[in-house]
Amino acid sequence: MKISWKAMEVVTAAATGLIGAVVCYGSLENGIAWNSSGPEPGYFPFGIGCLIMLGSVGTMVQALMKRSVAPVTASATGGEIVDDDEPFMDTRGFRTVALFFLPIVAMAAISVWLGLYIGMALYIFYAMRVSAGFRTSTSLLTAAIVVAVNFIVFEKLFMVPLLKGPILEYFGIY
Amino acid sequence: MGNFGQLMDGFAIALTTHHILIMVFGVLLGLVVGVLPGLGAPNGVSLLMPLTFTMEPISAIILLTSMYWGALFGGSTTSILFNIPGEPSSVATTFDGHPMAKQGQAVRALTLAFASAGIGALIGVLVITLMSGWVANFALRFGSPEYFAVYFLAFASFIGMAGGSPFKTLVSIMLGLAAGTIGMDTISGEGRLTFGINELTAGISFLIVVIGLFGIGELLVTIDEGYKFEGVKAKLSLREIFRTLAEMPRYWVTILRSALIGCWMGITPGGPTAASFMSYALGRRFSKRGWNFGKGEPEGIISPETADHSAGSCALLPMLALGVPGSATAAVMMGGLMIWGLSPGPMLFTSQPDFVWGLIASMYAGNLIAVVLVLATVPLFAFILRAPFSVVGPLIAIICVIGAYTVANHVFDIWLALVFGLVGYVFKKLSYPLAPFVLAVVLGDKAEDAFRQSMLSSGGTLRVFFETPLVATMMTIGIFLLLLPLITRVFGAVFNSGTKRGVA
Repeated sequence: MKISWKAMEVVTAAATGLIGAVVCYGSLENGIAWNSSGPEPGYFPFGIGCLIMLGSVGTMVQALMKRSVAPVTASATGGEIVDDDEPFMDTRGFRTVALFFLPIVAMAAISVWLGLYIGMALYIFYAMRVSAGFRTSTSLLTAAIVVAVNFIVFEKLFMVPLLKGPILEYFGIY
Repeated sequence: MGNFGQLMDGFAIALTTHHILIMVFGVLLGLVVGVLPGLGAPNGVSLLMPLTFTMEPISAIILLTSMYWGALFGGSTTSILFNIPGEPSSVATTFDGHPMAKQGQAVRALTLAFASAGIGALIGVLVITLMSGWVANFALRFGSPEYFAVYFLAFASFIGMAGGSPFKTLVSIMLGLAAGTIGMDTISGEGRLTFGINELTAGISFLIVVIGLFGIGELLVTIDEGYKFEGVKAKLSLREIFRTLAEMPRYWVTILRSALIGCWMGITPGGPTAASFMSYALGRRFSKRGWNFGKGEPEGIISPETADHSAGSCALLPMLALGVPGSATAAVMMGGLMIWGLSPGPMLFTSQPDFVWGLIASMYAGNLIAVVLVLATVPLFAFILRAPFSVVGPLIAIICVIGAYTVANHVFDIWLALVFGLVGYVFKKLSYPLAPFVLAVVLGDKAEDAFRQSMLSSGGTLRVFFETPLVATMMTIGIFLLLLPLITRVFGAVFNSGTKRGVA
């Protein structure tokens, strides 16, 4: 799997353009015209949506034009130094980023369900044991330390309660 | 000399034991943030923000600004020792700092960097001291058209001077403004762009945006690029430090030029990163030893460092005096001021003089503390950086998730931050500028209010933005800046074809 820079540029520009269209559509619901009390609430966002689409089209055109431009002139105009051989992302890069990001998503999901402390404990254990390859005992200890430090910093020092979740509440920790 | 008396009052507020301890704590936290790649100053300040909601505003701002100074200094440590910029603004420091460190002069490189950074910061604060009152007085005459013109000018200068693709900057700014309009409309009370999602009614906090774009996004980029820490060892010796300090006066021209560039870029929202690159480029052009740049030239360290820090501190001047922040971090702090119930802008100087001058006085003290602490902690941070990123990364991830939650105790915010993290990752790799995005989220409401109020007063014609000389001038400069990329391109094309014909 290879995603080239150009493909990524075009896809991103298309995505931002789509967001622009959604913003325009959303502001239509609030009214984009003028009434007796001045501009309606959608007036300003509608303009923003249009400018997002304008910028996206410009970005896309620039990305597509790059192919036709000879490498020498591209560097002379101070364009980004992009090696055509190196893709935006290859399978290895995708795996690395996904293996880092997905556990964070999992931690978020668990935290929403069972509370932040349980979420972070499981996540740190996973990251230490599986991703970094430490021994089980070391990983358990690190997880315990991280939870303890966060508990002291947030609950005791700064009095900012974090989400506890049903399990901790069952044990009477609010 | 009215400012001087007020500054002295400010020192009386800033130099209490309580506040000095806060400064030390803030600088240390900032150093950690600055040293660790994947954890930057805007993000660090955002993460700390929810913990300051219960503090006194002056103590809170001293904590956050001290953290900012620490982060600016910490970024240089990793640049020089590891060739890895801890902060985007210290990229230019790697060009000469790391080569010098490799030649066995690590301590000299660090001392040069920190000393010039300290001087740069102090010059920046001096500029704030001398000019902020004047700017604020001037701004007191502003009505809504003038305010809109100032915001317009800020955004236009991003497009005109940021370099890179102006379209990408435009998209970045407008996406930020769009994110800022989500939620309840302040004038009509209608929900906007919520698409029936209840969680969006309260709007998207700029803190979530920063934690996502700068925190999680940067983390993903760091993982993607696969950093390896292979550093140069630095053994601190006091004699080496003092010998280097004695060298400093020789470079006074470079320092002065770089500080001027920094102040200018900080006040106009160019930001520290752009300032450091510009200063490096100009340094190479003007230096007698320009050929040596990139090989461990002292002036190659002094130029970007001085500019970086004077820009960093000057970025707070427009934030305080006009309510228009000069950098992403300043934007975050301005959002904080509003949360603490202070409204940034010229009125702040008359309504909260203790706050303003206490803050300015604390900048002098905070930067001095930062210079000492950053030198003292070099061995400690060099040690911390030997920890593998597979351990540090997850820790930063946890901090980001907790930070997103603590902003408003909403679990929805965690998901939002993750989404913004992916956006930040893609945008960063495709070199969309992220600072304008944050600035737009913070300024969105104010810019819109100014626009709507001016339109109301004028009955709906855009002519109101060209009626008085002041507002007309600002709008014209803004439009000129918007067109600048186009102008340079046209001129470049004409100039290039001209030379080609000349050759033929």
